[in-house]
Amino acid sequence: MCESMKEILRKLCTDRGVSGSETEMLPVLAELMGDGAELTADRNGNIIAAMGDPGAEKHIMLDAHLDRIGLVVTYIHEEGFLKAEPVGGIDLRTLPSSAVKVLGKEEVLGVVCTMPPHLAKDEELSRDKIWVDTGLPADKVRELVSLGDRIIVCSRYTELLNNCVAVSALDNRAGCAVLVQCARRLKDQKLPCRLSLVFSVQEETSELGAATAAFSLMPDEAVVVDVGFASQKGVEPEKSGKIGCGGIISMAPSLSKEVTEKLKELAGRLSMDCDYEVSGSTTGTNADKIAIAGSGVRTGVISIPEKNMHTQTELVSVDDMEKLSELLALYVMEGGACHA
Amino acid sequence: MLDYGLLQRLCCADGISGDENEVRELILQEIRDYADEIQVTPAGNLLVFKKGRQRPEKKLLISAHMDEVGFIVTYINSDGTLKFDSVGGVNNSAAFAKQVKVGRNKLPGVVNAKPIHLLKDDQRRKNPPIDELCIDIGAASREEAEKAVSLGDSIVFDSLYENRCGRVISKAIDDRFGCLVLIEMIRSDLAYDMYFSFVVQEEIGLRGARTAAFTVDPDCAIVVESTTASDVPFAEDEKRVCTVGGGAVISFMDRSTIYDKEYYRLGMECARELGVKAQTKTMIAGGNDAGAIHCSRGGVRTMAVSLPCRYIHSSASLARTEDMEAVFAVVKASAERILCP
Repeated sequence: MCESMKEILRKLCTDRGVSGSETEMLPVLAELMGDGAELTADRNGNIIAAMGDPGAEKHIMLDAHLDRIGLVVTYIHEEGFLKAEPVGGIDLRTLPSSAVKVLGKEEVLGVVCTMPPHLAKDEELSRDKIWVDTGLPADKVRELVSLGDRIIVCSRYTELLNNCVAVSALDNRAGCAVLVQCARRLKDQKLPCRLSLVFSVQEETSELGAATAAFSLMPDEAVVVDVGFASQKGVEPEKSGKIGCGGIISMAPSLSKEVTEKLKELAGRLSMDCDYEVSGSTTGTNADKIAIAGSGVRTGVISIPEKNMHTQTELVSVDDMEKLSELLALYVMEGGACHA
Repeated sequence: MLDYGLLQRLCCADGISGDENEVRELILQEIRDYADEIQVTPAGNLLVFKKGRQRPEKKLLISAHMDEVGFIVTYINSDGTLKFDSVGGVNNSAAFAKQVKVGRNKLPGVVNAKPIHLLKDDQRRKNPPIDELCIDIGAASREEAEKAVSLGDSIVFDSLYENRCGRVISKAIDDRFGCLVLIEMIRSDLAYDMYFSFVVQEEIGLRGARTAAFTVDPDCAIVVESTTASDVPFAEDEKRVCTVGGGAVISFMDRSTIYDKEYYRLGMECARELGVKAQTKTMIAGGNDAGAIHCSRGGVRTMAVSLPCRYIHSSASLARTEDMEAVFAVVKASAERILCP
């Protein structure tokens, strides 16, 4: 029961749950959430954990998207090569000669085709030219792989120095892990509110899950947990937060000032040295859809600083995630930002 | 059948050019009980003499290289990330966003690059040049990184190996497969005395083979290599160079060597007589240690027999065991035919 954040994260960073296939993650979440919360899957596949007092006046929603990016099989060539297209904004630069796993009837290892350097003449990468080579005979490929099967880029869960972890799907399994840890912190507490933890679907493709979940649940407030750009070479400081800062609090016209201020206040109280990301319009996260669901939901965003977003070497600090789970638990225990 | 368990151990051993120690130690263990003479040269080559049933008139050297492509730490940035350069002809696209191991202690790291979201449209479709990349080991400062890493440390791709339905995906098939062929020959009962060289630094300019050929001073040589197959759906006709599943690749010419015509024919004949598949390259492309061996001393008659391999020089190359068996059969038969009086 007292698994570390690393353990939770390792279990969540699976090959499964590419956008549209998030239901595959239900058993993992059910195991991690234990009996502390009632889990349901809604029409779109959002996985929702209900906690707290169902009769309470205040209803808080915490959202983290469950889907990960990947590829989808669109065509099988007569020689057995697979044509694929991106699901979500996969970084095309990461693909050439990367090992991938085709999630067919069985998992099949493959490699993304490249032209050898002596034949490729500065060729531009294109989402229309992605071919995957399993090296298996064509009839074996047709037996194991169907159109619509998802493909992920292989990546090994790797612990680096300073409690950093690198692996694909940290966007946004890191956010999901924060929600799981937050739920564990709150498990034996009497909550002053109703709490819905939403592990939402299809953020990477359309933010569909968060939009429909927010409409169905109609919470009073929502906080979205996602990954944000970490400071690294080539990334402007105003667009990023430092690994180890605890979290990046977003400020944007589309977000609730009350929720954002409350997050800042609580971060100060926990001596967190959060960085900020200020945008002139929307945030590029689920918050954009949640804030305008139904009659509108007061929404804030807090992000885990992440390097190498949308690659197989995404990198976060587990210390940041731990602090963030503490912040969110406190937010819930205080009954959110606004008081009726 | 070849010892594919050993192929896995060879491919998963780490040894970029100039740092082949781990591979050499593994090979030494595997051949120690079968070789008649073993020598490690100042350059780092492993030279082996194995007696056969007969003493041939000619001295034949069979050679494969131990090194693989990779990277080397060149600088430690103030933010604790590592700058690096490539070692051998590894292409930039192969480096981006890969998991790697750094230095003697195999410290895990990842290759960073600016996120796609923050790039202009035209940058999103181009592979970033190597000087825009850096390796992240999680260190938060130069001081911290310096405790774990030194300049000049080797960087290798994280290993990956799968043999399924006769298809192998791994790093370093080039040229650990060649090493496997030599080991299998050393372990076998040979018709004639033969010399074998496991050489260093092929990938940075055929440097080990040059010195191995000088030391052994052979009359003739067979280079066992892995070569680029480009038989992917968007490459047609001669641009495919050679094909995976098409059998042993016997070259008449590449960018390093014009091969001995008689040996080229001899290799093809051996394949035909054995009933194994053989092919040649349909472009004058690539090169290998034959380039250094055939011009050693007063000249060495040389042939190359190669394994067709896709995505060579990347973290995930792909080949088939049926081609591996074909290469082994052709090399063994050609060696005997060359030495037959």
